[in-house]
Amino acid sequence: MKTLVNINDRKKVKILKISGGHRIRQHLQCLGIHIGDIVTIKKSSFLGGPVLLEINGCDVALGKGIASKIEVEELE
Amino acid sequence: MKIAFLGQPNAGKSTIFNGLAGYKTITANFPGQTVNYTISKVRLGDEIFEIVDLPGIYSLTALDKAEIETRNFILSGQADVVINIIDASTLSRSLELTLQIAELQVPMVICLNMIDEAKRKGLDINSEKLSKIFGVPVIETIANKGIGLDKIFTSAKEAYFNKLIPKMQSFHKDIENYISEIEKIIPANFIPKVPIRYLAIKLLEGDRELFEEMKIYNDLLNKVHKIREEIKISHGSPADTVISSERHALTMNIFEEVTKIGEPTKTLREKIDDILTNKYLGYPLLIFILFLIFFMVFEVGKIIEEPIISIFDSFIQKLPQYISPESFSFFIVKGLLEGFSGGLGVAIPYLIPFFIGLTILEDIGYLPRMAFLMDTIMHRIGLHGKSVLPFIVSYGCNVPGVMATRILESPRDRFITAALSVFVPCAARTTVIFGLVGAYIGGVATAALYFFNILIIMILGAIFTKFIPEITPGLIMEIPPLRIPTFKNMLMKTWLRLKDFMLVAWPLLVISSVILSCLEFFQLDILLNKIFSPLVTWILGLPEKSGITLIFGILRKELSMIMLFQAFDTTNLSTVMTKIQMIIFTIFIIFYIPCIGTIGALIKELGTKRTVLIIIISIFIALTLSSLARLILSLF
Repeated sequence: MKTLVNINDRKKVKILKISGGHRIRQHLQCLGIHIGDIVTIKKSSFLGGPVLLEINGCDVALGKGIASKIEVEELE
Repeated sequence: MKIAFLGQPNAGKSTIFNGLAGYKTITANFPGQTVNYTISKVRLGDEIFEIVDLPGIYSLTALDKAEIETRNFILSGQADVVINIIDASTLSRSLELTLQIAELQVPMVICLNMIDEAKRKGLDINSEKLSKIFGVPVIETIANKGIGLDKIFTSAKEAYFNKLIPKMQSFHKDIENYISEIEKIIPANFIPKVPIRYLAIKLLEGDRELFEEMKIYNDLLNKVHKIREEIKISHGSPADTVISSERHALTMNIFEEVTKIGEPTKTLREKIDDILTNKYLGYPLLIFILFLIFFMVFEVGKIIEEPIISIFDSFIQKLPQYISPESFSFFIVKGLLEGFSGGLGVAIPYLIPFFIGLTILEDIGYLPRMAFLMDTIMHRIGLHGKSVLPFIVSYGCNVPGVMATRILESPRDRFITAALSVFVPCAARTTVIFGLVGAYIGGVATAALYFFNILIIMILGAIFTKFIPEITPGLIMEIPPLRIPTFKNMLMKTWLRLKDFMLVAWPLLVISSVILSCLEFFQLDILLNKIFSPLVTWILGLPEKSGITLIFGILRKELSMIMLFQAFDTTNLSTVMTKIQMIIFTIFIIFYIPCIGTIGALIKELGTKRTVLIIIISIFIALTLSSLARLILSLF
């Protein structure tokens, strides 16, 4: 299964599953990240660093720990 | 009339608040800057408005301290009108909070701030339609340019006097049925003024605070549990998730109804942003930007410092002409003057350029990008990217550095970051490093000390993490768009920060200076030197006379160096101390007990127990490092 960590720059993905606790899910929801949303990877993880996403025109940085808990599917 | 500003972090609440109330709070292009709320009275014609700047929150689900505080404030019924401030460029996400505020049924105004940024992103928002949907006034503002702020009070009045309470937005039929089932069994007037529907939704969401309050109503809670189970079975996910996806769906519907989405204009900003966070170019740029700021701080600082110091020095030298140098009052006046000039001449010249530099970085929005870049490195010491901010601020002064740890979510991260921040050499300790090692030994040794300091902080971080393992999920942070800082805002913020320093730290400087002078008068300094001589001469290998300077360094770090000249009665320290002694002395000064001001800030942020722990750790580290340095340096 692909997670946000192993997606290349500028790819569009659909979020399939967010594993991890209730709080993390809630925190992500607050920043506008939901299951089923389509996000663009602006900067992929580099040397274990965070991922930079664009969602509905906002940029959100996610550390590798969380990014690896978000399962996604690449679009085209 | 009391008007509360409510909105998501970084939507521009504080900017609007400052624009209306005169500068009262610090704004930052960094999410979560405001933690406590600020109230201000504004007179407009004959009317007096009380405006409240609440901390930015993403939702009303009580995720963190700020959310609970904000929620309780609104629920207590203190606000007559709520102004929901929205960053228009993130409308789709922000409307989720708007829906939740609407549930509270308080007169509301929706303020679409940063409407210019939304346009740049290609969003064309129809505010009339939005106003019709919610049945409340909708206004458009560009707060940092002061555009549209005048409409806030008029629309607040309109909402208040016409009782413009937001229209309820309905969820799907089945959920609505469940809500009304619960509404029916909630005891009337359980919490006065709080709408029943709000309570019902919160119960469905499984809100822990509310469950606690309602625990005597057993039947009610049982019923709620049953309904929550039913929802879980019929929808395939927990009730709270169902409610939040209901809200999300509603939000998206409203968003699509009021917004036309066009092509975003690709601007220079995006290109710059791309380079700033580039995985190869980002790091050299980060080092370059920090270097530039510190270079500017010390160049500008020196220019301001020298004339101020010389004025005071010549005055102090002339003092014996007016007051007899043997009298007690002479020592008092001398102490006062020295303390006064210490603040004015040593700290402030470096703090002004530092605060200006920090403000520019903050307002541009570089700090979150820095947190993004530094995330990997910070993970090595068991923290994450956001901890960078307190460290950087600490290079100016540890007091705001410790206070900046508030932006971190977990208490563990706050503690470790604060504990490490106090080892960052602030402007005062920097004057010691430059004045002693820089002046008598040279630039290479000075730079080496800074690297040594960073290395030790990283090792300490790694050790802390061994004892308090990392459980935090890591970095989850919004990166706001780059913005062009306004000159006025920059000046006002620098002034606010400086005022904090002058009100808290400066009086302490003056008082400690006077105490020191009194000790000198009663010749207690000799006694203190004797008491501390085992530590100073045996362990550290420093001259006995430097003992008292170390004690007073706790009050003011830079004082320890200034006092060295006094204690030895010389203007050239190289005649009384060896180079090795200078290095040991400086290392000790960098790491030992934080200054009084910082201790105050630590107690406020972490409590007394943890502060004491940090102090003990700092003494231990300072002793270990300086005796190690003594051992190693003596080999050469």
